[in-house]
Order: sequence, then C-alpha cells, then structure tokens
Amino acid sequence: MPPQPAPINVPDPILVLDRVSRIYFTKGNIFGRGAQRVVALNQLSLSIGRGEVFGLVGESGSGKTTAGRLIVRLEEPDEGSILLEGGDITHLKGRQMQDYRRRVQMVFQDPYQSLNPQVSIADSVAEPLITNRIGDPRDHLRRVLEVLDTVGLSPAEDFVYRFPHQLSGGQRQRVAIARAIVVQPGLLVADEPTSMLDASYSAQIFDILLGVRGQMGATIIFITHSLAAARYLCDRIAVIYHGHLMEIGPAAQVIANPKHPYTQALIDATPKFGRCEAVPVYGTLLSAPREASGLAGCPFFPRCRRAERLLCSRSYPDWHPAGPEQAALCHFAQPDHGDGEPAPGEACRLGGG
Amino acid sequence: MPLLSVENLCIGYRTAQGLLKAVEGVNFTLEAGSSLGLVGESGCGKTTIGMALMGLLPPNGRISEGRIVLDGVDLAALSEEELRAVRWRDVAMIFQAAMNALNPVQRVSRQMTEAISTHRPELGKEELLGQVEGLFQLVGLPLARLHDYPHQYSGGMKQRAIIAMALALNPKLIIADEPTTALDVVVQDQILKETKALQDKFHMGIIFISHDISIVAEVCQHIGVMYAGQLVESGSTEQVFYSPRHPYTMALVNSFPTLTGERKELTPIPGEPPNLIGVIPGCRFCDRCPRSEAFCKLEPPSWQEVAAGHRVLCDHC
Amino acid sequence: MSKLLKASPRLARRHPWQERLAEDWRVFRSSLLGKIGMALLLLFGLMAAGSYIPPLLDPMYHPMTGVDPLVLKSTPPSARHWLGTDFMGRDIFSQLLAGARVAFMVGVSAAFMAVVLGTAVGMTAGYMGRLTETILMRLADMIMVMPTLLIILLLAALFGKLNIWTIVLMIALFRWPGVSRVIRAQTLSLKQRPFIDAARVAGASHFRIIFRHIMPNVLPLAFLYMTFRVTAAIVIEAGLAFLGFGDPGTVSWGMMLQWVWKTGHMFTAPYWLLPPGICISLITLSFYMLGRAMDEVLDPRLREEGQRE
Repeated sequence: MPPQPAPINVPDPILVLDRVSRIYFTKGNIFGRGAQRVVALNQLSLSIGRGEVFGLVGESGSGKTTAGRLIVRLEEPDEGSILLEGGDITHLKGRQMQDYRRRVQMVFQDPYQSLNPQVSIADSVAEPLITNRIGDPRDHLRRVLEVLDTVGLSPAEDFVYRFPHQLSGGQRQRVAIARAIVVQPGLLVADEPTSMLDASYSAQIFDILLGVRGQMGATIIFITHSLAAARYLCDRIAVIYHGHLMEIGPAAQVIANPKHPYTQALIDATPKFGRCEAVPVYGTLLSAPREASGLAGCPFFPRCRRAERLLCSRSYPDWHPAGPEQAALCHFAQPDHGDGEPAPGEACRLGGG
Repeated sequence: MPLLSVENLCIGYRTAQGLLKAVEGVNFTLEAGSSLGLVGESGCGKTTIGMALMGLLPPNGRISEGRIVLDGVDLAALSEEELRAVRWRDVAMIFQAAMNALNPVQRVSRQMTEAISTHRPELGKEELLGQVEGLFQLVGLPLARLHDYPHQYSGGMKQRAIIAMALALNPKLIIADEPTTALDVVVQDQILKETKALQDKFHMGIIFISHDISIVAEVCQHIGVMYAGQLVESGSTEQVFYSPRHPYTMALVNSFPTLTGERKELTPIPGEPPNLIGVIPGCRFCDRCPRSEAFCKLEPPSWQEVAAGHRVLCDHC
Repeated sequence: MSKLLKASPRLARRHPWQERLAEDWRVFRSSLLGKIGMALLLLFGLMAAGSYIPPLLDPMYHPMTGVDPLVLKSTPPSARHWLGTDFMGRDIFSQLLAGARVAFMVGVSAAFMAVVLGTAVGMTAGYMGRLTETILMRLADMIMVMPTLLIILLLAALFGKLNIWTIVLMIALFRWPGVSRVIRAQTLSLKQRPFIDAARVAGASHFRIIFRHIMPNVLPLAFLYMTFRVTAAIVIEAGLAFLGFGDPGTVSWGMMLQWVWKTGHMFTAPYWLLPPGICISLITLSFYMLGRAMDEVLDPRLREEGQRE
C-alpha cells in the first residue's frame, strides 16, 4: 500500500511535495548482474509553510539530501510532483527553469568543495546575479558587499577579493550562504551546512540562517542529522528513515515527546550534553537487526524493538495523530498514551559516571 | 605514578612562511584506566599532540621541548627505531579517517594478522587467526565477515575493525582522534558505548580527541580544553562543562545546541583563532574574549587552580 | 581576471594562479630535468632570435637565397662559414638558426592548436556525457589510431607541395585526441565536485559552467600536454620535410637533412649532416624534459609531504 500523506494541514504552503519518489539504479557487473534498484525516496509528501524553518532529519542514506536536491532541481523526481507557490516545477525547462533558480537557492554541505578554488569571493557571490541577469552589472559589487555584511563577513572589502583557500571553513560557509541569498530567494535549502565545520562555528551559521529568515522572510529547509541542531533552529521537523517519512510535527514537541520508535532511537543516540535528570531513555532500537519477512511492512520493522511481527512485518502503517500538529507513521503511535514513556534511571551518564 | 605524563610539550612545524608553533607548553597526566578528552577547534593542536604521542609527526614537525613520559619512558627522546616498537604495542591509535586506514586490496583478516605478527612473530598462523576472531567478537563484528575486503564493510564496521586493530596488542594507551565524525548518530552512539566498555574491561588509558564537546562529555572523565596550541582549562568533566571558568570554554559550551533543557540562545564565538606563526605575547584568546582587558594582550596569562584538580589559564578567574 | 576585480584594483589580491605559480616555480627549480630542459630551450630560443642577424650582415648569409659567390659547392667549416656551406654555397650556420625559428613556430603553434581543440572537446564530452560524449570520444579514437605521417603524406601526394601553415594545421588536427582524453577524465572528476552543482543552482548555463568553472581547473593539465605535443609536432614536420613533402619556401632542419641526402653528401659532409640532426634530437629532448618536470610540479603524489596547517 502506498503511503498516504501525513494528515497535517499547512495553510498557504510555499512548497508542496506530492508523493515524490526517487529511484537510483546501481550498475552491476558487465553482464548487468547485481544491478540494484535503490529507492532513495519513497512517495514523500510534505507541505512547507511560508516563512518557516523546516527541518529534514535523518541518518546518511535516509534520502534527506536527495529530497533537497530534488527541491532545488539538481535532480528530477521519478514519480510525484513538486509545487512552488502552487505552480508545478517538477519538470521545468529553459526560461522557466532559469526563473526558478532565482526563487530557490541552496547551501551545500561542504564549504571546502562548494566554492570554485579558482574564483574570487566577489565573483562567486556575484555568480547568481550574473547568470540570472539581475540588476545593473555596475551595481553587482555593491550588492556583493551588502550580502557579505549580512552574513557577518565584515569589513566586506577585506573579503571580496580573497580566494576560498584564504578563508577558514566557517568563513567559506558564510560566503556560500551569501551566494545563495544574493538573489533574495523565497526558499533556501541548507544541506547540513555545519556538519563539516568545527562545532564552535555551528552557532554562527545557525544565527545567520535565522537572520536570513528574519530579514528576508525566506523559508528555510534545514537538512540535518542532528536533532539538537534541528531543535535549536527549526519550527517543524520531519524525520526520514530509508526514504520514508516517519514522524512530523513541531520541532520542540517532537523532540520532547517523540511518538515514533525511530525518532526515539535517534534521541537515545544523540550525546546528551546537559543535565542528566531530564534525559529519557527509550531503548527502541534493536542492537542486531532482524530479518524482514516482506517488502510490504513497516520500513523500521527490522530494527524496532516494539514491533509485533504479525502486524508490523506485513502491513504498512497508517498515520496516527500524535499531538497537536504532530503525526507518526507507526501502528502503535497514539497521542498521550502511556507507551513510549521514558524509562528513568540509568539515563544519567556523563563522563563515564 | 600516572600512566602518561606530558610535560611542557612544544611542537613546531616548519612551513614556507616560518615556524608554526602548533603546540606550546602543554602539561597533563593520565592515570591508567581513565580517559581524557582533548577538545578544541581545528588547528588548536589536539591532533598534533595525538600524533606526537604516537611518534607519527609529519617530516616537517618536531618536538622542540618537553617530555612525553609513558610508564617511565620518555617517548620524545626515543629514536625512530625504538618508537616503532612502542607504537601499537604500548600506544595505539584510532584514526580520524577510518575509511583510509584500511588497505582496500587486502582482506581484513589478513591485515589484522599481519599487524599482530610484526610485533609478536612467535605466534603461528592458527593462533593469530584465533586472536583476530577474539578481537572481532570483542568489538561486535560478525565472524562471518572476517575474510571480507574493507569496501564490503559499512562505515561503522570499518571503525570497529580499526578499534579491533588498536586493541590487538593490548596497549596501555589508546588515542582516539575523532573516531566517530564520519558516522551517523546511531552508529556513533554504539561505538562510543563499546569503546567505554572496552576501556573499563582492559583498564586502558584513553585520550579522546574531538571538536565536538558533547561527544567528549559523554565518554571522558577528564577534559582538557585546547585553544591555539595551548591547554587553557583542565579538570573533571563535571567541573569543566558545568562550571567552566575560562571564557573560551564558556563560549564553547554556550555555542552548542542541546536536546534537553530550555531552548536558550546560542552565543557564537566571534572572530577566528590567531595565526600561530610568530610571537604572541599575551593571552591568545584576548581578541575574541568578552572579558579581555588591556593587560591581557601584553602579558601571558598564568594558571589558576579554581578547585581541586580544576585549573584555568586565565588571570580573570 | 574578472571584471569585478578590475573595477577596483586597489583591493585586488593575488589570484590563486599567481600563488600557485610561485609555488610551482619553486618545485620546478628543484628538478634537474627541468633545469636542463630550460637551459636547452633558452639556447634554441637564442638561436631562433639570432636567425635574423646573419642576413643583415651580408646577403650571402640569407639561409634560403644567399649564395656565397666564391664557393658554389659544399665546403667544410671555415672562418667565413662557421659550419661550412651546402651544395650551392649557402651558409649552414644561418640555415641552422633559421631552422630553430621554424621548429619553434611549427611546434608551438601546432601544439597550441591541438591543445585548444583537445581541451574544448574533452571538456564538452566530459561535462555533457551521454550521446555527445560517445560521439566525440569515438571520433577521437578514430583519429588517434590513424598514422598521422602517412595520412599527411597521402594528402601531400594528392595536393602537391604543402604550405608550412597547412602542415601545422594538419598536425594539430591529428594530434588533439590524446589531449581530449586526458581533459575529459579530469572534467569527469571535476563534474562531481559540489562547486559545479553550486554553479547549476546559481543558474549558470552549460556553456558558462564549462568555460567559467571547469576550464580554469583543467588549464594547468592542458598546458602540460602542450609541451609533449610540441615534441610530436616538431618530429612530424621534420619527417615530412626529410621525405620531401615540406614547404619548399622555408628552411627547416628536416629540409636541411633532405638536401644532404638528395645531393649525395650523406657520407661525405658530416659538418652538414650532424648539426640539424643533433638539433632535432635536442629540441625534442628539451621539450620532453620540460614536460616531465612540469608533470612533477602538477602531480601532487610526486611532491614532498605538504605542510600541515
């Protein structure tokens, strides 16, 4: 049974993903043997509200980066459609595609790789202005200085004529953000913008992204593997596992009160850097995965401690409302039921106790 | 006597621009069976210290001063030949890039048996294989995957294989340099837990190097915070992270998002660390420090003991 | 440099190329091969530049038309003719100098054209992929397996004597496929780098991505291949000329060898035979050594351990 869209209504969404799938085929040997069909995204449906910071959370291979690449149209979905402000952009071409590039921008994961080493900061940041023929070329430099100031690279005059290798990782990522916001996009996709940086730079990048939302009213899709970062930055989050949407809801609420066993497992695994007493332990992850009996069941069945073989391995779960604006794709998810209560004790461990 | 004591360690790199003082005047001790976390931004010298402990500094790097005493032997004074005997037998390392530490064209079992047999040539083939099997069980790798090639392993399995290799000769000290940066949270959590369990079991000393304070807080009993080549604060994990006294440590702690507790504002650390080529007369953090005063720039700060075992390199404490 | 940079030179910093060139020059200087190659090339360069002087001193030193009225046959070296004269009394030394000029002209311009063409094709094939790549690369394969000299000989036989520029063009047309293969491979790896994705998201066209974002990153490699192509071009031109299909209006070393052979002085006039022969060997050798030294500069694996931050 194909997954249904989560029953969460967003009034006036800026972006809608409607049952979007992306399937890759790996090459086998020269006889085509061993070729595999890898479903990176399985019928993902999301509505993203105007001006919100929306978090896509998942492990590597969960399809979160693929979702981001589909949204900025670096790739095209194999099924489903993507709508920006109500207009279908799934298969845009030519002139209209060019127009789309002005409205949706992206910040990439690795700032050491996403800036061309041979291009100066000024030219990197001005690139979207030049390619989209925005404004008078004589004003480009002024505009570049402006956005560099916005991302906190000041005095901007000191940075414009440098080259990427002369900057630190944090500075490079700020240049990448400047390049993305120079055309004042309505939607910004940030793909793990801090995972390659020292932890101490993350806060800077987070604050710049929040500033971008505040000053320009841009909607931000923040792709991350860290629930802690999502909690700080996002209004709402969606948790993805192996291409399937597992849980969706307001960030603070989902993290404080997760209903899906996978979300709970992620919370368990995140290093708790805080006072011990508040830390719950859910213990929903099996240490050794079990065999799945078929393709029809819940995608998380092989690793889920709470799963019941008869039910979970055979039927794909439905969405269950799990709180205000929160829903989980699990047979056992129920709003404020006793299950999933954190087990106290043994939670407190810090520095080996 | 502590297992390891590092005294006034100074390490420099020769570069085209001049001598880069990557580590300057670092002191710390580590008891057997305990763990020390070294935290700091990249370029603060934490990896350099790890490499120096292994005797694996790059050709342009040199220990200019200080001693690294492991079980009564000064590693800094050993020749390359003598170091080679110490390496892996007494000090083992879990590398940052586990993916690259395994030879892609050799089966994992073969790599491990060879690594062991170079230090213990008296063992026969059967005994070696038995040892490797034991190690696999220890780190939770399935025995069925013993004879696979590294590319058939997932990231977590490779990291486990690297840990198994580090444990192979029962070393007294293990240096783990960002062992989990490339891994997902779930796998990272498993590896961290296992590392801790193994440490308790074998009573080894661990030096855990990371830029991520949340990971270090999770696994280590003692913490050393490094900044621009110097240790700036050290103490027990509770002391350093719950009552940080150095402005840099405070900033680090406050710039980190948490999963629990109130959702407070993060305060980013402004600016960039100083260039380590050349002489820095005063405090190295003063340009980014909210509390800095005129004298901070001119005179080097001194160590203050703010509580038992909790020391801070700052005159404002 | 970019337009934006020119807008206010006050702020301009050194381009990474400049920094890299400085570093590369340091590595290059430490290579013995590079130094020898460089010295030899300098010598040939001086010869080429000096080739303009003898005809100015005396019309009889003109390499093509100048004839010593007192000699009119091949003579061994003398104070008047440092390397002797050829069968009709022309000065061999001034011919040798003129030959250096032709060798540079043929070698560098043919190699330049081949590299420009090969780079453009390689980048396009690597970046576009699919059918474009298949067509361009199969074409390259086809041309690569053709024996250049033989084809040019056939064409020369069909169309009569070839002009020196026609020869240059033909060499270029037959020598680009090797370059395009290497550039394509480099482009394929560059294409995977996120900065190309970033350029696409910024809205850059394919054309702009190829020439603005990929080209600056493959140019060093293209330049390296140019030195190897120079060698090939010089050898081909010499071969053609020796076989009698050269441009009769120019004096090249291959031409000189042909005259030696045709007039039967092969075994009687070593002063005439050896200088052009040695020069051809040395100039190809020097370009080859230069290329090897540059290879060392470009190949990070051959460099000494880089400095840590």
